[in-house]
Amino acid sequence: MVNPILLIVVPLGLAFALPIVNLISKKIIKYIPVLAFLFNLILSLLLIPKVLEQTIIVKIGGFHPPFGINLFVGPVGILFSTLIALAGFLVSIYALSYIKEGPKEKYHILYLLLLTGATGVVLTGDMFNLFVFFEILCISSYALVAYLGNKAGIESSIKYLIQGSVGSSLLLLGIGLLYGQLGTLNMADIANQINSISSPSIFVPMIFIITGLGIEAAIFPLNAWLPDAHSSAPSSISAILSGIAIEVGLYAVIRVIFTIFNASSFLMFFVFLGVLTLLIGEMSAFSQKNIKRMLAYSSIGQIGLIMFAISLNTQLGISAGFFQMISHTLGKGLLFLSVGFLIYKTGSMKISSFEGIGKKMPITSLLFTIGAFSIVGLPPFAGFASKFMIIKAALTTGQLLFTVLIGVILLGTVIEGAYFFKVIQSIYFKGTTDIIKRDEAPLIALISMSIFVLLIIFIGVYPDFIARILNSAASEFINRIDYIRSVLG
Amino acid sequence: MSLELLLIIAFSGAFLTYLSGKISSQLRDGVAVLISLGLVAIVSFLYNVQTETVFYQGFFGISLILRMNSLAWFFAIAIVSFTALCIIYSLSYMKDCERSNYYYFMMLLINASMLTIVLAGDLVTFFVAWEIMSWSTFLLISYNRNGALQAGIKYIVLSLIGSMCMLVGILSIYTSFGTVNIADVANHLTPSSVGYKLFLLIIFSITFGIKNAIMPLHTWLPDAYAESPSPFSAVLSGMLTRMGVFGFLLIMYVIVGMKTTLHLGRGFLSFNTILCWLGAITIVIPTFIAMLQNDAKKLLAWHGIGQGGYMIVGIAFGTSLGAAGGIFHTLNHATYIVLLFLSVGAIEYSTNGLRDLNSLGGLFKKMPIAFFGGLLGISGLIGVPLTNGFVSKWLIYKTLILGNAPFLAFAALLGTWGTVLSVYKFLHNLFLGQLPEEHKEIKKAPLTMQIPIVILSFTIILFGILPGLPLKVINSIIVAAGFQALDINIWGVTSETGTLNMLNIFAAIAVFGAIFWGIFKVARKSTPVDQYDNYAAGAAVPKNKYHYTVEYYAPFYRMGKPFLKDIFDMFYNRIAEAIGSICDSVRKIYTGYVGSYVMYIVLFIASLIFVQLTWSIF
Amino acid sequence: MEFLSNYIYYIGAFGLIFIGLFIILVKHNLIKVIIGIGILDTGVNLFLIAVGYISKGTAPIFSKAGLDANNMVDPVPQALVLTSIVIGVAILALALSLAIRLYKHYGTLDLRKIKEQRW
Repeated sequence: MVNPILLIVVPLGLAFALPIVNLISKKIIKYIPVLAFLFNLILSLLLIPKVLEQTIIVKIGGFHPPFGINLFVGPVGILFSTLIALAGFLVSIYALSYIKEGPKEKYHILYLLLLTGATGVVLTGDMFNLFVFFEILCISSYALVAYLGNKAGIESSIKYLIQGSVGSSLLLLGIGLLYGQLGTLNMADIANQINSISSPSIFVPMIFIITGLGIEAAIFPLNAWLPDAHSSAPSSISAILSGIAIEVGLYAVIRVIFTIFNASSFLMFFVFLGVLTLLIGEMSAFSQKNIKRMLAYSSIGQIGLIMFAISLNTQLGISAGFFQMISHTLGKGLLFLSVGFLIYKTGSMKISSFEGIGKKMPITSLLFTIGAFSIVGLPPFAGFASKFMIIKAALTTGQLLFTVLIGVILLGTVIEGAYFFKVIQSIYFKGTTDIIKRDEAPLIALISMSIFVLLIIFIGVYPDFIARILNSAASEFINRIDYIRSVLG
Repeated sequence: MSLELLLIIAFSGAFLTYLSGKISSQLRDGVAVLISLGLVAIVSFLYNVQTETVFYQGFFGISLILRMNSLAWFFAIAIVSFTALCIIYSLSYMKDCERSNYYYFMMLLINASMLTIVLAGDLVTFFVAWEIMSWSTFLLISYNRNGALQAGIKYIVLSLIGSMCMLVGILSIYTSFGTVNIADVANHLTPSSVGYKLFLLIIFSITFGIKNAIMPLHTWLPDAYAESPSPFSAVLSGMLTRMGVFGFLLIMYVIVGMKTTLHLGRGFLSFNTILCWLGAITIVIPTFIAMLQNDAKKLLAWHGIGQGGYMIVGIAFGTSLGAAGGIFHTLNHATYIVLLFLSVGAIEYSTNGLRDLNSLGGLFKKMPIAFFGGLLGISGLIGVPLTNGFVSKWLIYKTLILGNAPFLAFAALLGTWGTVLSVYKFLHNLFLGQLPEEHKEIKKAPLTMQIPIVILSFTIILFGILPGLPLKVINSIIVAAGFQALDINIWGVTSETGTLNMLNIFAAIAVFGAIFWGIFKVARKSTPVDQYDNYAAGAAVPKNKYHYTVEYYAPFYRMGKPFLKDIFDMFYNRIAEAIGSICDSVRKIYTGYVGSYVMYIVLFIASLIFVQLTWSIF
Repeated sequence: MEFLSNYIYYIGAFGLIFIGLFIILVKHNLIKVIIGIGILDTGVNLFLIAVGYISKGTAPIFSKAGLDANNMVDPVPQALVLTSIVIGVAILALALSLAIRLYKHYGTLDLRKIKEQRW
């Protein structure tokens, strides 16, 4: 049997091997991330059927939980690790032609580390281990935001760093408080004992941990770093930050709330917070002139939608939330990647500079359009299926409040539609009508983006394909007793 | 011929057209025409077929169904025929335009999605097709750039609002009954509460009201019609907008059911009465606003809104005569509005994109086919006997009079007066009067543009004299919806207070026509002279200075202008501006200063503590 | 007095945390903010150590017979703190290097003036 720990070990090991390889040949380093995530993708896909049958607990060093560090490879973990590997693989293919300047070997090292951290966060079963992987994720993203070394990148990076390090201190503080009371760091063990202590002394570590993780998850009002960082990073990194990093952050938040603290009563607050996050994100995106900032704000909106769905605290709601995460990863990833080359060719991030680019780069523009349609939630793309599921989940609860909030969310969708359609108009229907010489993005990037499109259409048309894994993922969150039992035996 | 195959041909035909356009434009034209005519052939073979097939089950396990019945067939044949005519027309109209591959692709995609809408046997298929139609329409409205961009945004925003309402409605049905099959939903809905039915009716009415441009929701329409390429304006006004009528029929008489819909509420406050009145308002105001327009396509667009009002009044009134009239009017309106848009398009083509009523005129001799198209079109629009518009308007008037609704009948009549005034301006300012100097030498509209005009003109007369042909299908639609069957023969309709028999009318008009023709032939006195063989107070007429189509209804314009503003449009614009400025101020919370961001983090912790202390939810 | 001796580490730890947060919130100079982050980090580390500390305890190694396991200092927080110090150093190093680059671009480290990325 293959060991799921390879999902973490291989990219981590390759990240450290990369400088050595760089000494030998400077040309092959850019293929290392591709190989690493291809390996991860294949491994994750192979693991899916096994995990769906039974959760795999990896005991590192042979210590039995709650003593050693263990990995918990459940449906959620494998779902996320597949998603991370998929996005990592496609974006690294894209980066083959996109990353041309700067210290390339550092880019690839940090890229591997970033996604290793993300995989670690979703697979780990230990609180402190979560913190460590989280820090790997954060620090490598601070550095990658500043990769271009320009004014915007450095400024965004330092702001991100300040907020992020406050957050990680809070997280560590929360973990310390929890450890002080329970004497354990194993997540299942904490979950098992959480009801034995009084609620105020759980509440304090909980809010610290939620706030600390919430900064990475871009919950309003902790998301001020996001538009800066996502818009200043290289586009391939923006795709990963938007598609993977914030969702991993959100995963951590909900894992803490559902499994560790059993605080489902707290989710009512998160429902409102989610809707607020959505509205703030969409409204801020509405009058943006900078395309990447617009996409970044739209990510905030999508996170709000995911939060809303998951906070419904029903089987259907949580699976809808995961579905929305998948379609957001694919859609927003595609948008950032295609915008990357649009910006590269026009030399500007202003939406007005894209006028007429549809003639110059028809395929890239088409890919952008499909991504935008999917994010807005138009059929037959993935965004529609996930939005369909979210609304269904909210209406199934039968509560008037959720029905009203659905109205607010759909208002957000209309705003979202309005600004995306404006961009599409300026791409295709503005600017010169003369015949322009084609200047398309490189083939390899187009291939990587086309795979995104194929997946978006496939999942949008055939959502039942992922229904089973979504369902088991949702049950993993709902049945926390099963989680505890499968780890502690 | 199974329905799946039909849709596969429709959708893949669209892609095929696009791809063949990459090879050569002749090939593409051929493929486009072939596909659209093929669809007409297939759909007409499906006449009187009643089938239902489950074609897909992979979408959350919902059985997606296609269904063919008389209602679906009626709309389907209309959609494919009008699209085919517009495609043929486009062959030369769009010849030198850029992105013509894209244009044909979108036309056929819209055609296919409309076809899916009418064939949908469940609400999810309906919604998906509806959305595909909406976004592809948006992409085609924006095609003409410049002013079209604003029109496109207005369209898509309103359309999104509508479809979001519909999505909530559909999912509420799905979660309550566990099915989206239209027939099953109708059964499940019978015992449910009046409030729920009313909720569904209202929420769907918003969607379909936006699409059909009922008065407070109409603002997207004038700009969208005016700014699209003319053949697409024709499809847009003829069929796409009327998907709203189809939707109203579906929700009122198929899903909720006729008996329930007509008994929701009491007296003036019942659902269908309110809808009737909205329809009446939609007839009157836009028709008079149309009179003030100086853009030929905008004038037609406002009439499109007004005529939509007739359909709604007919359908919502809820008698078999009214429903038949409403449905028939949908078809008739499509024939003459498509014809009118195509005629205007021909003029646009010949005068290089001119459609300003102030600067055209006298094109009668230059473009006789377009003139006769326009003449028959406006006759239909007014409802002159022997044109099809007469029959459907007669049915609607009759309904209103029989149904003791004098005010509604008066509104409908008022609408017709307004129509007469404004379409006369249309016809006169384009075709009659003096030909401006610069249009002396215009290129002729080619054959492919004339054929659709001739076919449509012929159809108007055909359905005007033999209204029994379409009414037979319509009769089976209304019987399926639960209405009493009408007594129909090929020449017209028999009702309890009088019979419409086009044969008599035809004979009478033919006789009088012959007499008048004889008189004018014999006693002809006029001598044709050149239009500049003229004088003005002793001085020569300065060429190109005076043009008497300018400000045609100037006195009326002065009188009516203060009252005939599109206040709703202004209202929506105001709202849009307000939302824009709110959005602009919301994003100011991201100040750019890190200290305030960290302050947000602290405040977040504080608010969590506050929530816990106040409500102790944890 | 006994209270103080029992809780002095916690008081110190939270004191450092609040000082750190205060600096980050109030100071405008980037270097000072980075110092604040360092202090905040140190406070959290001290807190972690304090959690596992037992006064007059022994090292958690059974080197001699008769050592009471209850009187041993908890080793886990110490291991955690080692990791967290390393992380803290990494963040500080990154922050300082970014500060140098930022100074090159803006010519100032006043955060009130570094506001190009906003809205």
